[in-house]
Amino acid sequence: MSPTLGSTHESAGIKRKQRRPRGNDMATEPPQSLIPTGKSLWSDAGRKLRQNRLAMFCGSILAVVTAGAFFTPLLPLQPSDNTVTSRDFEPPRWTGDPTDRLTITLDDIAESNADVAELLAKRQGLDASRVAEIARLDKAITDARHRPYRDAGFTDTGAWSRWMTRCRMRVWGSYSIPSYFGRDSLGRDVLSRVFWGARVSLIVSLVATLVSLVLGVSYGAVSGFAGGWVDSLMMRVVDILYSVPFIFVVIFLLTILGEEQLKKQLAEYGIDRITVFYLVVGAIYWLTMARVVRGQVLSLKEELYVEAARALGVGQARIIARHIVPNVMSVVIVYLTLTIPRVMLFEAFLSFLGLGVESPDVSWGMLASEGLNVITPVRTYWWLVVFPSAAIGITLFALNFLGDALRDALDPKLRET
Amino acid sequence: MILFLLKRALWLVMTLWVVFTLTWVLANFSPGSPFTSERSFPPEIEANLRKRYNLDKPDHIRYLYDLRSLVTGDLGVSTKQVDFTVNELVALCWPVSAALGLLALAWAATVGMVAGVVSAARRGSVADRSLMALATIGIALPNFVIAGFCILLFSFLIPLLPPAGWGGPRYLVLPAFCLGAPYAAYVARIARTGMLDVLSQDYIRTARAKGLSEGAVILKHALPTAMIPVVSFLGPAVAGIITGSLVIEKVFAIPGIGYSFIQSAIDNDTPMAMGIVLLYTILLFTMNTLVDVAYTWLDPRVRWD
Amino acid sequence: MSPRNLLLLAAAALLPLLGIVWSLTTSTLPPADFTFNNGTEIKTVDPALVTGVPEGRIISSLFEGLVRLSPQNRLPVTGGPEEWPGVADRWEVSDDRLTYTFYLRRNAKWSNGDLVTAEDYRYSLRRFLNPITAAEYAKQGWYLENGKKFNSGGTYLKPGDPIEVELNLEPGEHATKLGKLLRGTLVRKDPETMPDDPKERDKIQQRFFVTLDGKEACFVAGNPAQGDKIPQGAKPCRVVTLDFHAVGVQVVDPYTLVTKLQGPTPFWPQLMGFYPLFPVHRGCLEEHGSPAWTRPENIVTNGPYRIQFRRPRDRIRLVKNEHYWNHDNVRLETIDALSVESTTTSFNMYELGSMDWIQEPPNNLMADLMNGVPRRDDFNPAKQFGVYYYKLNVERGGLGDKRVRQALSMALDRKDIIRTAVRGPQTPAMHFVPPGIAGYTSPLCASPDIPRARELMAEAGFPEGQGFPPLEILYNTHEAHKAVAELVRKQWRKALGISVTLRNEAWPSYQDRLRMTKYDVGRQAWIGDYIDPNTFLDLLVSDNENNQTNWANEEYDKLIAQAEAEPRPEVRLKILASAEAILMDEMPILPIYFYYSRNMLRPHVRGFYNNVQDFHPLHTLWIDHDAASPNEFMRGANR
Repeated sequence: MSPTLGSTHESAGIKRKQRRPRGNDMATEPPQSLIPTGKSLWSDAGRKLRQNRLAMFCGSILAVVTAGAFFTPLLPLQPSDNTVTSRDFEPPRWTGDPTDRLTITLDDIAESNADVAELLAKRQGLDASRVAEIARLDKAITDARHRPYRDAGFTDTGAWSRWMTRCRMRVWGSYSIPSYFGRDSLGRDVLSRVFWGARVSLIVSLVATLVSLVLGVSYGAVSGFAGGWVDSLMMRVVDILYSVPFIFVVIFLLTILGEEQLKKQLAEYGIDRITVFYLVVGAIYWLTMARVVRGQVLSLKEELYVEAARALGVGQARIIARHIVPNVMSVVIVYLTLTIPRVMLFEAFLSFLGLGVESPDVSWGMLASEGLNVITPVRTYWWLVVFPSAAIGITLFALNFLGDALRDALDPKLRET
Repeated sequence: MILFLLKRALWLVMTLWVVFTLTWVLANFSPGSPFTSERSFPPEIEANLRKRYNLDKPDHIRYLYDLRSLVTGDLGVSTKQVDFTVNELVALCWPVSAALGLLALAWAATVGMVAGVVSAARRGSVADRSLMALATIGIALPNFVIAGFCILLFSFLIPLLPPAGWGGPRYLVLPAFCLGAPYAAYVARIARTGMLDVLSQDYIRTARAKGLSEGAVILKHALPTAMIPVVSFLGPAVAGIITGSLVIEKVFAIPGIGYSFIQSAIDNDTPMAMGIVLLYTILLFTMNTLVDVAYTWLDPRVRWD
Repeated sequence: MSPRNLLLLAAAALLPLLGIVWSLTTSTLPPADFTFNNGTEIKTVDPALVTGVPEGRIISSLFEGLVRLSPQNRLPVTGGPEEWPGVADRWEVSDDRLTYTFYLRRNAKWSNGDLVTAEDYRYSLRRFLNPITAAEYAKQGWYLENGKKFNSGGTYLKPGDPIEVELNLEPGEHATKLGKLLRGTLVRKDPETMPDDPKERDKIQQRFFVTLDGKEACFVAGNPAQGDKIPQGAKPCRVVTLDFHAVGVQVVDPYTLVTKLQGPTPFWPQLMGFYPLFPVHRGCLEEHGSPAWTRPENIVTNGPYRIQFRRPRDRIRLVKNEHYWNHDNVRLETIDALSVESTTTSFNMYELGSMDWIQEPPNNLMADLMNGVPRRDDFNPAKQFGVYYYKLNVERGGLGDKRVRQALSMALDRKDIIRTAVRGPQTPAMHFVPPGIAGYTSPLCASPDIPRARELMAEAGFPEGQGFPPLEILYNTHEAHKAVAELVRKQWRKALGISVTLRNEAWPSYQDRLRMTKYDVGRQAWIGDYIDPNTFLDLLVSDNENNQTNWANEEYDKLIAQAEAEPRPEVRLKILASAEAILMDEMPILPIYFYYSRNMLRPHVRGFYNNVQDFHPLHTLWIDHDAASPNEFMRGANR
């Protein structure tokens, strides 16, 4: 469990934000956004960020990781779920092996596409009232569509990934990169699992963070703008929720929503365990976001330049758009980059407990915990531990560092020091 | 101050009630009945069991029953370890987690503070950069990964410490280190930021101008103010650390409260899970209150609210 | 720094230190003579409430049944004290094999000094069968005459039956106490039968009309003190059952117990050595109540050990019971039973010296352990009386068709599963009852044949798996189960073209799902409770709660019932074999592999024997650091 799980840096109750001594007195600075030619918050931040070499390096690492995760199906990797049981626990090697190659060809896919077309035609011909039959056909269609990919050992993916896989087969044929990272207990290629795991881990943390963003920003903004008893009520709710040990909540929600009937119902709306995870985690991390945004809105409302703008007769909407939003945005972005690694850690933690993504999908947390499960004094399959851990470590390091750099660059308080 | 504490106590009761209701609803609507096991029962026996656990009563009555026993401090008997009441279980697990957590906290706070202060005093130096890089790694790596490497290193390669289990002080070292590592990293970073904040303030400049040595300036004048953010981080962290890191306890097979918690939630052991959640809530709340008390102590500008 | 800040700092530094010292003093113990991994936290030490082997290991050390089974072959011990027999000196069986008379030794004592008498066993059997106790293993008592009828409360009672009414307890009395008993005759029940569904059952209160001493009365189960409503004219009671005098347990004198059985049950003495039927001390239970009677300071035991210390999810410290009649032959003074769940962690602890015995090293090390050089002197896998199988829910999708089930079986490559998923010395299971019963040969199921499996699928209407509803394999969270399920998924997909998904669940919800048959394919393992085919074949009788496949076969049920009544052992085994043949043709279950025990035991531990039940009593062990020859466990090892 990471230290950020049950807690925030801020304690409940006392409204400390406003009373905390400020490093620099903002009011003495010229209200910059009112000076049209002055350096804007963003260009200034950009300049600062560019000066920070390490941050730029971290940024490029992240870009590479993200691109790698996004375009995984394009890379000539072995399918992540292709078990070659005769090669279990094979250490990393530089040379290829015949079993590395893809077992399907584009012809197989074309064949299954023909099947799909045939089934689709059949479905078109059916009367809409025959619900059961249509449902059966729909299942058969999905099945036929995924069949060649499953045969090769890919996990079920969306149309976009399948298209990328086809592109890859056109370019590389059946060639696959040898097992540079070794193979796991069922003889699956660790390199490709790390890549496919990146996809899941990144998407999970991105989406969950976005959910927390939407919830937190809207809640915090409403609370901050409304002020008065609405504000204090809304913040009391947040205070109470802060004292809820939410790991418990997550575990319970995951088990309840994993219930077969409920799961089937949810699946009809396209909600699976990962979606539940997004929602639940997002719903947890929004608390801090709400507080931060509210605090920012409150203090901004009273800033001199905002009052000045109001005195000049600038409309409410314009004030929000020109002054409030950019300033809140900076906090939000900083917070966002710092939340993503936390969610990633949380996913790893849940996977470690067996509550994360489900096989055959992979995530980094799952890979790392699988690796840890085989550490013994008799034999250590180091490649199962080192590579996934390194992937997590590097990505999280880069994210944290970039987040810090962004905060340094965007935080107005530190701008002139 | 007394008024403040009274107000807090009231809020605690409110929070406990919310948490209880929330977990009760979650627990009672999760799949699986509390007495499932390897063999299944004939309907007659199951009816008896349902009666014993009040499952034959409507939901709202059961809720009131449970609330009533909660108020009297009776959390019932664990449904998975039927030889123990929840109170006994918590009392038995608690010292273990406390020892582990306190040790982790002690090392996290001291090492973190020292690293943070050194870093801030030598801002921009190699020491600063490497310390902060180390801290970022500490935050970045999941602590079960750190634990794995530690076991590999200190149990297998250099057989110094036991890889798991619970017995004497020797068994504490590795888990406490792994549990404290991310917290130490956080403390270091927060202490550094806080210190830098303070060092740029006027009164420090005045102190320097008076000719005080750099060490005296930092220790006497800057440190107390710089500790404020650290204290506010440590408050909730204490609760988190003491109830035990779920994962660390699992990795090292330590019979603490965190491990019991995960296990009981997964096993559907409602009374047990509920008991631990409530304990955690109380701890979290107490720590937050303590932090606020410490705040007014450290920073004379903050008044009782 | 101001003084009050200093004070605060000092307090902050001192508190953790004090805390650590305090918690260490409350939580450390000197090491025990023998430490082993019990695998999991046990549910309870109450014999009547247990099912699992980990609980069994502890209970067998705390309590002692009429019979003890030998550590070598798990058969009843009849020899002298050095062979570790049970409380019964000897027993006799009547010619019709229905009545067993047990003669108790006169020097057996409880740990508080009380004598162990036949009445203790009668009381414990009564408690075991009482529906209030809800013993999970209660079926083992159904072999007794009227055992099932008593155990089922009102279910099978008929007008005219002798009954007893257990009244509610007085306020303040422990629930472990037996309520006041009224004896009489049943006149009628209203309603006659109760629905099976527990929620429906809650809505109805069954009324029992009885005559007590010539007067008619009406009783319903319920307690007004707990908020139950009692209908007009009825009296509340805890439960209405058959009169326990009608059950086949009789105390002739303090040292003679007679049991009468429903049918000839050749394994009855074995069952009396089975830990759920071990006795408890009535006085201790009634004085302290549950769960307080299991506290180390309260518990009264009649076995070789008692509990000294217990911390959940950590350890149970057992210490020798000086009142045990055979304590001269018990050599270990203290034993620690740890509850480490992860096989890797427990192996690491064993390797680095914190444990002396583990039951299960991690699967991925199996090859190293079996073939490593030099040969290990602490690992000797042996045949075990258990089978790992998949059950098929015959009401789901295509599984209702026998041909599909046969095809699924033929498409399994069991050798590959053993090689890559379980990695041990296990053997492929081509029949259900594990080998190792003298005089019994199991009929085999069809051998693996993928072309034939495809033909069968085509015949059933799913050529190349087309149109076959997707199957979901249900298993409880465990690395090994997952690995097996993954492989089975791949094999079926490859051979039959059907789509298969996996579903793992924590133990309780997994059990619920099986019980409510909310699954397609479910993992299951069964270790025989006694050495007889019946312990396996009985599982698939249509009214067995553990059938859970919706498969019902009249002829099969008939054969099993016939075997139960058959006194001639050879004929009985033949009937059971023909029942298994039906099973192997119908395939409502797919046997996958037969278990092998995989114990690892330090060479200096003596008195530990491999046996087919893989059950190892603790009180027969001793430590011998100077042993010249390999210990009993390693004898016969293939090295």
